Amino acid sequence: MNDDTPIMPGPEADEPTAPTEPQPPAPDEAPTSEQPDEGRDRPRRLLRSSSDRVIAGVAGGLGDYFGVDPIIFRIGFVLSILFGGLGALAYLLLAVFVPTDGDPDAAQRLGGRLQGTGFWRAVGLVIIGILAIGGLFGLAGGAAFAVALGWGVPTAIVIIVIGALLALLAFRGGARWLIPPAVALAIGGGVAAAANLDFRGGIGERTYNPTSVASIPADGYRLGVGRLVVDLRDLNWQQYRVVDLSTSLGAGQSNVFVPKRVCVVATTHVGAGESEVAGDVNSGADVNHSVGTGASAAPRLVLDSSVDMGQLRVINSDNADINTPGYGPGPLHVDTAPQRAAEARACAAK
Amino acid sequence: MRREVKVDPVSLASGAVIAALGALLLVDSAGGLHLSLGWMAVVLTAAVGAIFMLSGLLGGSGGKNPE
Repeated sequence: MNDDTPIMPGPEADEPTAPTEPQPPAPDEAPTSEQPDEGRDRPRRLLRSSSDRVIAGVAGGLGDYFGVDPIIFRIGFVLSILFGGLGALAYLLLAVFVPTDGDPDAAQRLGGRLQGTGFWRAVGLVIIGILAIGGLFGLAGGAAFAVALGWGVPTAIVIIVIGALLALLAFRGGARWLIPPAVALAIGGGVAAAANLDFRGGIGERTYNPTSVASIPADGYRLGVGRLVVDLRDLNWQQYRVVDLSTSLGAGQSNVFVPKRVCVVATTHVGAGESEVAGDVNSGADVNHSVGTGASAAPRLVLDSSVDMGQLRVINSDNADINTPGYGPGPLHVDTAPQRAAEARACAAK
Repeated sequence: MRREVKVDPVSLASGAVIAALGALLLVDSAGGLHLSLGWMAVVLTAAVGAIFMLSGLLGGSGGKNPE
């Protein structure tokens, strides 16, 4: 297929004049107002306009072909971009695969090359590439998951064996195709090990609402992946003046809710993500966060909390709904100033 | 007559790098070492960079023993 082959159906340019094309009036036949002028200069095939163009002449060509003002198509393309973007894709395809009515431009040359190499072959290669990249991500995720489930040693042994196999196969001509999957496994396992990912506490959403200190587990609350919520606002803080709590989460979001008048003394660790304690925010990798250190005010929560990957939030608020976006899994950034003020007041109180 | 042995230096070097990463992960998982996320990122980036560099430097066909 050469570069000038149109994609849209229609007679070829070098075809003899179609019988439907308006014939010049016979000498004895006067033109009448009934005669349509639709066929005046309309092309018989869809071509991009080289004279009436804003970007690639697609709208101009469509306007010529259909005999309407190109501005209609331009508005249509812009609107379709605003509502989903399908028009941008259509415009791009038309720009690449519909030839111009003038000298070939870059888009037409690209279309010619794609057609020359086989469009479906190119599409197939793109799909294979996407699948390969997805497979590598899957391998990395699988290795990370295995390490997080406590299978770090077997995962490491598998990686060592693959490395050794790769080195041995080097003497038999090499096996370079093994390099990307082996590297993906090493990256996934290495990141999970370094972040101390621990998914052994289960997966899902856990909400705890203890009403007495005795009901809080001595080793605290733990979750592997998901959202861990500990709501301490139903405790009798007049009775339990100082409460110790520890929480541990592998990946996800960990929330601890305390009343506004409770001073929070917290030591937190986040492997990668964000720690927000009573309005004080710290984020990044290997985040060690201390808040309220040395405070002796009561009532007081002494918190030791960790999140391997994700977000930790300790929220001083009497009326925050645990499912309200902003305090729950919704937007990460909320106004933290009121919490900082509440925390300062609570920790300054005697 | 000596038998011709083709050696792919990229596979050889990459295998060594990957085995070293596995050994590091093994020591870390066994508790003999704890690399922070930051240092692990440095190590992994260096390993991947080394593989790319070796591929670039030695990327031709495998070497051959002289006859």
